[in-house]
Amino acid sequence: MPPDSPAGGGSAALSVSEVAVRFGGVSALNDVTITVEPGTVTGLIGPNGAGKTTLFNVISGLQAPDRGSVHLFDTDVTGMKPHRRARLGLARTFQRLEIFGTLSASENVQVGLESTVKWWEWRHLRRAMPWKRRAASAGSAGQSGTGPSVGVAPEHPGSLAASTCDRLLEGVGLAGLGHEQSSNMSTGLARMVELARALAIGPKLLLLDEPGSGLDEAESKALGDLLAKLAAGGMAVLLVEHDMELVMRICDRIYVLDFGDIIASGTPDTIRHDPMVQAAYLGAAEPESGAAGPPGPDAEGEDR
Amino acid sequence: MSDFLQYTIFGIMLGAGYAIAATGLVVTYTTSGVFNFAQGAVGMVAAFCYWELVSAHHVPVLLSLLIILVIGAAISGALVERVLMRRLHGASSERPVMVTLGLMVILTGVATIVWSPTTERQVGNMVSGQFRLAGINIQYQEVLIIGVALAVAVALRALFYSTRTGYALRAVVDDPELLAMSGVSPNRMSQYGWILGFMMAALAGVLLAPTQTTGISIEAFTLLVVNGYAAAIVGRLKNIRVTFVAAIVIGLAENYVINYVLPHVPQNLVPDITYALPMVFLFGALVTLPSVRLRAVGRLTTMRAPRVAGGRESLVAGAVFFVVAVAAALVFANTLVKGTTLLDLGGLVMTLGIAGLSLVLLTGYSGQVSLCQFSFMGIGAFVMGKIAGGGSLLGLLAATGVCAAVGALIALPTIRLRDLYLALATFAFADAVAQGFFPDSHVYGSGGVSIGRIVIPGINFGSDSAEFLMVTAFFVLSALLVLAIRRSLFGRRLVALNDSPAAYATVGLNIGFTKVAVFAIAAGMAGLAGALYGTVQGVVGTTDFDIFPGIIFVLFVTIWSIRTVSGAFLAALTYVVLNQLWPNGVGLFAGVGIILIGRAAGGLLGVDAFHFRLPWVRRPAGSAPSVAAPVAVVGLGETRAAG
Repeated sequence: MPPDSPAGGGSAALSVSEVAVRFGGVSALNDVTITVEPGTVTGLIGPNGAGKTTLFNVISGLQAPDRGSVHLFDTDVTGMKPHRRARLGLARTFQRLEIFGTLSASENVQVGLESTVKWWEWRHLRRAMPWKRRAASAGSAGQSGTGPSVGVAPEHPGSLAASTCDRLLEGVGLAGLGHEQSSNMSTGLARMVELARALAIGPKLLLLDEPGSGLDEAESKALGDLLAKLAAGGMAVLLVEHDMELVMRICDRIYVLDFGDIIASGTPDTIRHDPMVQAAYLGAAEPESGAAGPPGPDAEGEDR
Repeated sequence: MSDFLQYTIFGIMLGAGYAIAATGLVVTYTTSGVFNFAQGAVGMVAAFCYWELVSAHHVPVLLSLLIILVIGAAISGALVERVLMRRLHGASSERPVMVTLGLMVILTGVATIVWSPTTERQVGNMVSGQFRLAGINIQYQEVLIIGVALAVAVALRALFYSTRTGYALRAVVDDPELLAMSGVSPNRMSQYGWILGFMMAALAGVLLAPTQTTGISIEAFTLLVVNGYAAAIVGRLKNIRVTFVAAIVIGLAENYVINYVLPHVPQNLVPDITYALPMVFLFGALVTLPSVRLRAVGRLTTMRAPRVAGGRESLVAGAVFFVVAVAAALVFANTLVKGTTLLDLGGLVMTLGIAGLSLVLLTGYSGQVSLCQFSFMGIGAFVMGKIAGGGSLLGLLAATGVCAAVGALIALPTIRLRDLYLALATFAFADAVAQGFFPDSHVYGSGGVSIGRIVIPGINFGSDSAEFLMVTAFFVLSALLVLAIRRSLFGRRLVALNDSPAAYATVGLNIGFTKVAVFAIAAGMAGLAGALYGTVQGVVGTTDFDIFPGIIFVLFVTIWSIRTVSGAFLAALTYVVLNQLWPNGVGLFAGVGIILIGRAAGGLLGVDAFHFRLPWVRRPAGSAPSVAAPVAVVGLGETRAAG
């Protein structure tokens, strides 16, 4: 990887090298190495407890690996705090919802949009003063030019320059629901709030942890289209998902994780016909089952 | 040399007492996830009961111990778990802290009524006599305490690591559901934890009572256990062995400092240093802790968020509030209540209201707990009175600035840790400031500090009415400021941080910076409140900003609703009125109140029944909250969503 190559121009968006994590005596990840290229959707599949969420936590900085390294666009982020990784262009969603429940859907997105704004600057403080009208336009703070620019065309939700909060919400199918308190929303809708919030920081690499669970067939299809569109705009997407139809349809490359080991990787076709994968995973969870399979809570990633 | 041995033995004995109390804290925490702030108060009550039985009624020692430990402590521990704590499952994270604090003020309140503080109560040694070893005198009581502590530690370790119940006790916090599936009741395990914790608190109290050479005192004894906090923190609130060793080290360090360092410092600094020691140990212990790992817990807020008043409606409400205050100032200009003018009392309500607003910002929005807002008030009043000469606007600025800086310093060591540690640090700070700093003759001393009324050229605040209206204006401005912060992107960040720290970090926001910033802002507001409090009262003294009144005030804000501006005002009003009616009973009201409120996150203002009674609190209409609905209020309550 030449360190001087421009981000998004050939170098990997994410490269995880030989990462190992142990919880007590149990090995959660064993020398896992994966690469995610810009402009692609990469799938990460495997049975419950395989270590997918742990890997997401390692990548986003919530879990320190015992061994190995994580690079984002050629920057070594292995020991970096989560918020600094986010500022490098990494966004994620969570398998178990992590929305700002007290805030409305649009406020959730706003927090993402404004994440690079320094609140103590007067031009931002002024907007909240009592003589100002309530609910000043949502996205304007993020348009101050400080937001991370994305290699995404302006019409995509991930692009900050052209998108306000409403456009982001519309992009994930939440048009008109911005005022709802997010904790009152159904799981499927709340997942979309999380996705919109993640897109709001203008990510170059997006980690999605089972975004399809809780969605019906039509919503799941729309999600797939959206992810494909984001990738077409240059974003790198890493997707953990149990909905095999979705994964097979939109992923350019798939990694299969089983008991902390990458047991296979390749195009959807390769994976579909890999005997080890069938034995370890697909044999158990019918590959063509269409709708979201029973996700079941992953107990991994919990420290005891 | 023999002095050194003597100090060492006494230090180990002190440490052994702390060790019993601290391991009790650890046992309760590991089994129920709740840090029991009432641990010291339980020990205090046990010590007074022991005095009552043995010294006053001559009941045999062993029988007294049996009554106190088995009948008293064990049953109360079981009851507290069953009646108070079990109801709190699913409550916001600060609520168990508040309920144990409520228990603490109830116990100290009851003790003050039962055992009048004016009587001196000396508790004799359980076993008399001494023996000589290596040239020093060792009292049997010292041997007894060290022996009991060792026995307790060994027994606990055996219980936790060698019995089935022990495994279940350790597992209960990590995964109660898993434990329940294996056929063990998590509630039962928590109950055992509370019983053991109470018994050990009582044991520590009874054993340490004779060491109080000037007699046992309610406040000092309740706070004696703060030394145990540091030990429990070194043991990360879960390791009994480390906690035990740390407690012994702290006992030794305390006794060495008292005997080797204090004789060489100026006399007036001796109490300062003595009372600052627990805080020094606690902050030292905090530094030893590893950073907490951010966890994605999938926690969902189940309550309806209180609606935030918009800019114009809060302006209108503030104006209405001020007009009412003007009318009150005209009507009650010369009314006296027990020798104080009613308007001065009103002024105190307003200044305390500002302190309450600082809690709305800090705890209500960002979810962090501070038990030292009164300490900041005291520091603010001190700065106002001494450094800026009193009575000048500069003093207000200085008070705000100094307190914000001090607040940032207190918050800094705790930002990488769980929120509980901030509560502990603020508790230790409040303790040190109230007992060590304020009584210093250079601070408040015994006479207090006079603070003049603010002088602005052209405006005279000399009259009570003018003073009242000035502090009212400050309250209204502070309320508008807090609401403006909530509407700003900083406010959204505070709420977001409270709802999900993991998501907060992964959208690129710096948790530590935000926590320090909000704590400093809240501390500055409290400092401003204190400075204004001083201008209303004229003279402030040591007891104005004591640790217990500060905690009681936090409880009142929580009872009314710590998330709304109205809650802050009503809490201040309640506090001042009750202090006029029944000063000794204020703590009882606060303690009972917080217990009755239980886990209702919105406090009294969030309880549905109140939506009928308070005309300005609008009932949320139907299921769809309407963002545009005009509701004119300074602040709003909220309801709990069903389930």
